[in-house]
Amino acid sequence: MIEVEALTKRYGGFTAVRNLSFSVRPGEVLGLVGPNGAGKTSTLRCLAGVIPASAGTIRIAGHDLATDPVAAKRALAFFPDEPRLFDYLTVRQHLAFVARIYGVARHEELAKPLLEELELVEKADVLPGELSRGMKQKLVIACGLLHSPSVIFFDEPLTGLDPLAIRRMKDSIMRRARGGAAIVLSSHLLHLLEEVCTHVLILKKGDKVADGTIAEVAAQFSNGEPDVNLEEVFIRATGGSET
Amino acid sequence: MIGALLYLRLMSLRNLVVYRIGRLRQPKYLVGTAVAVAYFYFVLLQRPAMQGVPAAGRAPAVAGAGMIGMALVCVGMSALALIRIAFAWIAPADKPALRFSEAEIAFLFPAPVTRRALIHFRLLSAQFAILFTSVLMAFFFNRLGNVGGNRAQQAVGWWVVLSTYDLHLNATNLTLARLREKASGFLLWRAAAVAAIVLYAIAVAWSAASFAGGIQPGDLASARGADGLVPGLLRSSPLRWLILPFSIVFGPYFAAGMRDFGLAMIPALLLLALHYYWVSSSEASFEEGSIALAEKRTAARAAVQRGELPSIGSSRPRGRAGPFPLSPSGPPETAFLWKNLLSMRSSLLNRRTVLVFLWIILCVSLGLRPLLAEYARSNRAEAYGLLIVAFCGIVAAYTLLIGPQITRQDLRNDLQNAEILKTYPIEGWRLALGELLAPTAVLSLVLWICIIVSIFALDPKGEARWLTPGVRVTIILCLGSAAPLLCLMQLIVPNAIMVLLPAWYQASRSRGAGIEMFGQRLIFGVAQFLLALLVAVPAACAAALIIFSLQWVFGAVPAIAMASAVVLAILAGEAAVGLWWIGWRFEKFDLSMDK
Repeated sequence: MIEVEALTKRYGGFTAVRNLSFSVRPGEVLGLVGPNGAGKTSTLRCLAGVIPASAGTIRIAGHDLATDPVAAKRALAFFPDEPRLFDYLTVRQHLAFVARIYGVARHEELAKPLLEELELVEKADVLPGELSRGMKQKLVIACGLLHSPSVIFFDEPLTGLDPLAIRRMKDSIMRRARGGAAIVLSSHLLHLLEEVCTHVLILKKGDKVADGTIAEVAAQFSNGEPDVNLEEVFIRATGGSET
Repeated sequence: MIGALLYLRLMSLRNLVVYRIGRLRQPKYLVGTAVAVAYFYFVLLQRPAMQGVPAAGRAPAVAGAGMIGMALVCVGMSALALIRIAFAWIAPADKPALRFSEAEIAFLFPAPVTRRALIHFRLLSAQFAILFTSVLMAFFFNRLGNVGGNRAQQAVGWWVVLSTYDLHLNATNLTLARLREKASGFLLWRAAAVAAIVLYAIAVAWSAASFAGGIQPGDLASARGADGLVPGLLRSSPLRWLILPFSIVFGPYFAAGMRDFGLAMIPALLLLALHYYWVSSSEASFEEGSIALAEKRTAARAAVQRGELPSIGSSRPRGRAGPFPLSPSGPPETAFLWKNLLSMRSSLLNRRTVLVFLWIILCVSLGLRPLLAEYARSNRAEAYGLLIVAFCGIVAAYTLLIGPQITRQDLRNDLQNAEILKTYPIEGWRLALGELLAPTAVLSLVLWICIIVSIFALDPKGEARWLTPGVRVTIILCLGSAAPLLCLMQLIVPNAIMVLLPAWYQASRSRGAGIEMFGQRLIFGVAQFLLALLVAVPAACAAALIIFSLQWVFGAVPAIAMASAVVLAILAGEAAVGLWWIGWRFEKFDLSMDK
């Protein structure tokens, strides 16, 4: 469960996110969309506790991120757009390290199916330098999912993945949601969001433009037209800005 | 075409200068520049006044010593150049290369530019660095002694030396590439070249040794003798003919006046022109090697920016076993220790190495005593003991002061992963402690070795009655227990600076970014030293006070033990505050604000 109330993020005199409120319940997948510079990454980073919010409250799985960050972070996983790995830890050692940080007992049993699912078994003993970008992305995902988080944040999760991996990733996101995870997904790939998300939140210059189920948001910007897709909704909502 | 390449180089240089000047508006660069300018002014531009004698009025002996010093420097440089060239022939690169940046490769290699034009571009590019280095060297070596000409002449002299070397090395690489392309006789040519270089080196060494054999001890002491030593050596046969190429290259630098300088420049420029013709007429293929070299240099630069030493050789790093088995449960700090030890090239820090190291320490400690006891019969024992103590003291001081700059496998190295670290469910102080454990362990190990060896080497004759075996063991235990805390404090300082001023810190880590970067590194170095002194003062004062006041009552051993307990408590308290503060600051600081 993610509860965000009046979230504001300022960088000096510039406000990246202004008074943002929304919630994501277990089983829901929220798509965070907006033009470049809308505040998507700032929002995700605040939600994951990577950067502090300037104002507002964020509750992750019932824990206030500001006052009880350790408990809140224990429940979440954050996947940044750029895979960041430790240069001298092999794939298997990354999993062992993360297991210790999150206190995951019997992590080897959990890691095995993850590595198989992400096709990393053959690369288990190599360093990140020998992995392709897609493989690195998969390793980051494996590390993030090892502690079975109930709240997951994805920032452009499909970057660098091959078509098969994209399909698997989409399946994985939906499976996690069906398993009760609350997921927030930021992406410019609107067809992905249409396919995967139950809800959508559109940001523009740090302000919330629309929020609700895809059908509700579509209805809000359809002008009475039937079958308006998310791309059209996005263009109308953001005043024609490119993604 | 060369015009376009010259335009690219000059515009890049102009934009770089404008950019550097523009960023002086930021205090971190302005202060860095001011400090660096002050440093260069006092270190390079101000000639040291020797024993109160103004530079202009130095005795001939001093000037002669300067000439000998510079001659030795030049001989050393020539020897290194010869070794480098011999090495190029002995072990040529698989793909000989010219030095281009990745951007230059991306834009110029696919461009409609002839190979010769690319060579010209490369030579032209090198000239900018060579000119700058020449000026710097003229100022730097001018401090060591007057070799005759003014600074402008010396700068031109260095330009001739460096340009000739650069051309010769490039020509050698291109020749090797050409010979490899032809395939036949490649090994034979290389063997002949190496044999020629070796024979040449032997002949030079033999000639110099013959001349040195004829020098009387009085020649070195007298001013006239010292003055004439270098010219005498250079004029002696057959050395003068053997070193003719080097004499020609270094001639302008050593020329005394304008006339001599002009005369020396004629053969030097001719030699330079010959080298230029050699390089520019090459038809060798260098593209593939240049691409590989550019990638390697980029990787090395990235490694340095991460705070690591660039890997030696071209082999890619391989995954290694962890330094110890990491269980999934337990304090998370251990996971950071495990991770950071792994990234410190765990092959050097695995259990086997540590055991071997400990075994060596034990052997040295036990073996040192009989050795010193043997020397104790002679009056040299004291000197040897002090030598060992001094050596260990120097190593320990360097470990404490320079060690934290080398062992960066802590929060500083992990700043690039801060986005991930900040999502971990760990309190800030625990994360800070975990990150600092690995470098603390490594530095402590070095300190322990120094402490054990130096305490056993102290007073080998056993004349100091107070230095009983009990006192020695007590000192080892006390210093040994304080060592990890001292190391931890020394590591806390740069990590605290990093989380306090991340933008300044990141700027200081970028490589080769100008005079302001040099100034910032100076500031950080001095700050590290001063803060280290500051945190050590309370503990040192307390220890001194306790030992001085209590040794009369309880004796040396209990006084040292009590003092060390207080020192440990003070250092532990300081370290705890430092770790808590770093953790708190790391939790609070905004990554996006500091990029």
